[in-house]
Amino acid sequence: MSTIRKRFTMGTAARHTLLLFFTLLALGPSFFMIMTSVKTKDEYVFDKIGLPDKIVLQNFEDALVDNDFLLWMRNSTILAVGSVVLSTAVASLAAFAIARMQFFGRDLLLSISTSLMIIPPVVMIVPLFVLYTRLELISTFHGVILIYAGLITPFSVYLLVSFFRTLPGEILEAALIDGATSLGVLWRVVLPMSLPALLTLFVVNALYVWNDLLIALIFLQSDDSRTLMAGISVFQGRYNNQIPLTMAGMLMASLPMLILYILFQRYFIRGLVAGALKG
Amino acid sequence: MIRTRNPIVPYLFVTPLIALLVFIFGYPLVKIFDFSFRRIRGITGPWVGRENYDLILDHPLFREAVNHNLQLLIAVPILIFLSLLIAVVLFDQVKGWRIYRTILFIPYILAVPIVAVVLKNFLQFNGPFNETLRSVELDALAVDWIGSPDYALWTVMGVIIWRELGFGIILMLSRLLSLDQETLEAAELDGAGWWQRFFYVILPQMTGVIEFYFVVSLITMIAAVFSYIYMIGRGGPGTSTMVLELYIYNFITRNSLPGIASAVSVMLFLVTTVLILILFWLRRGAREREVG
Amino acid sequence: MSRVSRRHFLKMSAALGAGLGFSRSLPAFARNVRLQDTELLMWWWGEQELPGLQQFVDDSIAAYTDARIEAVLQDTSVVISQFQTASAANEAPDIQYLWNGIYHMESVWFGYLEPLNGLVDQTVLDVSTPTLLSNYGGNVYRVGWYPLPMVWYYNKELYDQAGLDADNPPKTWDEFLDACDKLKGAGIAPVGGGIQDGFWGEWYLGHGLVQNLDSVGEALDLFIGERDFREPKYHEFWTKLEELVSLGFINEEMSSLELYPGIDLVVTGQLAMGESIGSRVPADNAALNGNLGVMVMPVYGTGALAGKPILDVQGLGISSQSDNKEAAAAFLEFLHSPDRLTAFWETTQWMPSNTGWDASVIEDPVVKFMWDNWNLGENIPYISNLVPGQFYTDALLPNAQEIIAGNRTGEEAGEVAAQVVEDWRAFNPDLLENYQTWGEDLR
Repeated sequence: MSTIRKRFTMGTAARHTLLLFFTLLALGPSFFMIMTSVKTKDEYVFDKIGLPDKIVLQNFEDALVDNDFLLWMRNSTILAVGSVVLSTAVASLAAFAIARMQFFGRDLLLSISTSLMIIPPVVMIVPLFVLYTRLELISTFHGVILIYAGLITPFSVYLLVSFFRTLPGEILEAALIDGATSLGVLWRVVLPMSLPALLTLFVVNALYVWNDLLIALIFLQSDDSRTLMAGISVFQGRYNNQIPLTMAGMLMASLPMLILYILFQRYFIRGLVAGALKG
Repeated sequence: MIRTRNPIVPYLFVTPLIALLVFIFGYPLVKIFDFSFRRIRGITGPWVGRENYDLILDHPLFREAVNHNLQLLIAVPILIFLSLLIAVVLFDQVKGWRIYRTILFIPYILAVPIVAVVLKNFLQFNGPFNETLRSVELDALAVDWIGSPDYALWTVMGVIIWRELGFGIILMLSRLLSLDQETLEAAELDGAGWWQRFFYVILPQMTGVIEFYFVVSLITMIAAVFSYIYMIGRGGPGTSTMVLELYIYNFITRNSLPGIASAVSVMLFLVTTVLILILFWLRRGAREREVG
Repeated sequence: MSRVSRRHFLKMSAALGAGLGFSRSLPAFARNVRLQDTELLMWWWGEQELPGLQQFVDDSIAAYTDARIEAVLQDTSVVISQFQTASAANEAPDIQYLWNGIYHMESVWFGYLEPLNGLVDQTVLDVSTPTLLSNYGGNVYRVGWYPLPMVWYYNKELYDQAGLDADNPPKTWDEFLDACDKLKGAGIAPVGGGIQDGFWGEWYLGHGLVQNLDSVGEALDLFIGERDFREPKYHEFWTKLEELVSLGFINEEMSSLELYPGIDLVVTGQLAMGESIGSRVPADNAALNGNLGVMVMPVYGTGALAGKPILDVQGLGISSQSDNKEAAAAFLEFLHSPDRLTAFWETTQWMPSNTGWDASVIEDPVVKFMWDNWNLGENIPYISNLVPGQFYTDALLPNAQEIIAGNRTGEEAGEVAAQVVEDWRAFNPDLLENYQTWGEDLR
């Protein structure tokens, strides 16, 4: 394998230059965000590109004290966890049946569910908004969790069906012979064997819900239910004349996902490419 | 296959799924058609036939929004080309490729609103980016990236590419890493050069993933750029970054005409569906030709 | 400074749900059953743009003995929709906070608001200056609460540097162009601000369009279809903006700056003149060590409204579903009692909307100047508050941005505006009649 990768027509220097260029491009804005976040407002006016004279943490304090970052993060977490748990539960049940049982309409159900993955969420918004205003579900977490869960479930089903199909059938049958019910097999045998897939699912779906803005803006209108992404929009409008403070806020807002990424890089990557490589 | 004693059991397992999908997809997809023929105020309104469609198709702003979405499609080949290029270079096992991969994926981990706010300030007319250009005597390049209606859409496109590229690279690289090594080695033993191997061995095996990425990017550009647009300029300056999603959003919110928003949703739905069907059909055609 | 910027957040987001009057999303607190006749529910907003208002409301309720009042501070994005949905469900509060013009007129059209003339003491109603935009069908629907004067800033230090008379800012357009020329000659950016988020264009229409109008109703004629933006005098304000652009008088980064950073340029001495809002004056004048000036937009127009200070006012109204309308009216009157007006100033450091208020407590001469001219003097309403939503997003904001970017002429802007008005009428035939009736009140 290594022999193949040793001979190129593209020189090593050229390849490194190319990669270095894109790496700098990828890091540049984050670098700017971090550097600016520890400058004072006055220093930024005079020096927008240089390193900070000394590191000032006041911006972080101001951003935290006067704003509801922690509340926004809490709300986003509730929505992400709630919808992922709901979606995973619904999808596990269905995927188990689809992958492991024989029933009429099974293939049709799977292809309908899978094809729903390509429908842009914006298409569903108007009727849901009208329905939610009538049902008094606007600005409620359970209402919005239901929407997010619905939107991510086709992917959950797709991924879990593929994974469940790879599990060795003998183990499942053995469990059944031991007298377990189908539900028992799913709970005690299949799900424990599927931890990598579940973790992947968790990461990808949570990332989707965490990052969404459109649904958060339309369906969560009260200050108390605002998500981190909608909060960022308010925050930047409020401090648009204090760029270092804005950047401190952005840095804090990006930390949760960055930390998760560094800790669980494998699952991020595996999860995000799962849809493509199996298809 | 598990044989359940009671034939009802599989249906019990899939009932929650069906209920959820009917509620979040089924009901809205039926309802947008109904709404699109009404002048809705609040939760309902009088039937107006195809009036909403006529109004939209005559609306200059709608046509502008469609145009902008179409212009954003230029990003699709750029994304495919760049992600393939970088992935292949990484695949050549450049020293430290894992670190490169980790870093190149970071933009995709940052949420769109964060990316938009940071880059918007970065690209401000007297912001760091232009200051840097000016400091190296490239004043002519220091244009008003976000303030000029001539550049704003391209700037937004640049921001989208900047963030979405990470996903493309990871995707392509994962596929490359799963390629059959023996074929590659055999090709090399046969004396095939790097480019030959790329075009005749690697690329044919990549069509599936490229197609996938093509579809994903296509749908992103047509119907999933709202966060970028909303955070960078809310359709402005002027109407230079107005896109279909924002058009729908404005008609739900400020203009309070959900009927109009529904009619646009119907069109968006039909367009994405037709696109997917065409791709599906093309792919099947290609497969049959391969077999035949 | 951050406090007022929320006003602009709300201008965009207030629209969320506006007009969804028939929907019924209702938070739990709205369903409180009124216990007795003297129990009033009040939904209000404003702490967000005027810190201290919460304190004022709490104190006032504690000091009021004729009724028990429960006050609930509303979230910015639901101020309009929450009241409309509650009304549709017959569960409206007795007293509701109301933004001016179209922002409360929809509730009037739905029949959710009670006319206040004949209900609230006429003297109180008059001195509270709810402005003309609160009138519909011959009735008044709001009591004014606190004013928002719409002003132009100028930096006196920069005026001095350019050899201009800092005590006499330009009044006519020619004087203004002359001043801009001198400023530019002295290396100072003459006029502008930030328009990236668009709101500057909203303020600009408020200042500019009135100059060729003889009545506020004439502005509504432009939307009803009686008059046309293609007529030169109705897009002259955009032509004037184009003129400033072509003469190079606009600050170069205006297109990529947002509204408030743009105003900061005047306060930090990087820009000589720009639009602003009165509630920023106390802080900004302090930051400039008393070197801030406020002025009316220089006059080119020939309409009866030209050159007059523009005053927007936040207000309170009474629900048509209230069982205690008199009690509610009495509380609104109480808020305008001399004692309460004094308390308002003390808790918020901002002026109450009451022309009878003893303004001698104002120490800042610029704030005093505003009070005398914008509040007490002959003023006109802020007409950007009467434009339909579709016009706002599709013509009002984009035109100003395109002109500042040098991409559109005033004439083209008029053409776009006329087209958008036609679109709006086609999209909203059911609203037209309301606008026609409203036009009668504004003449």
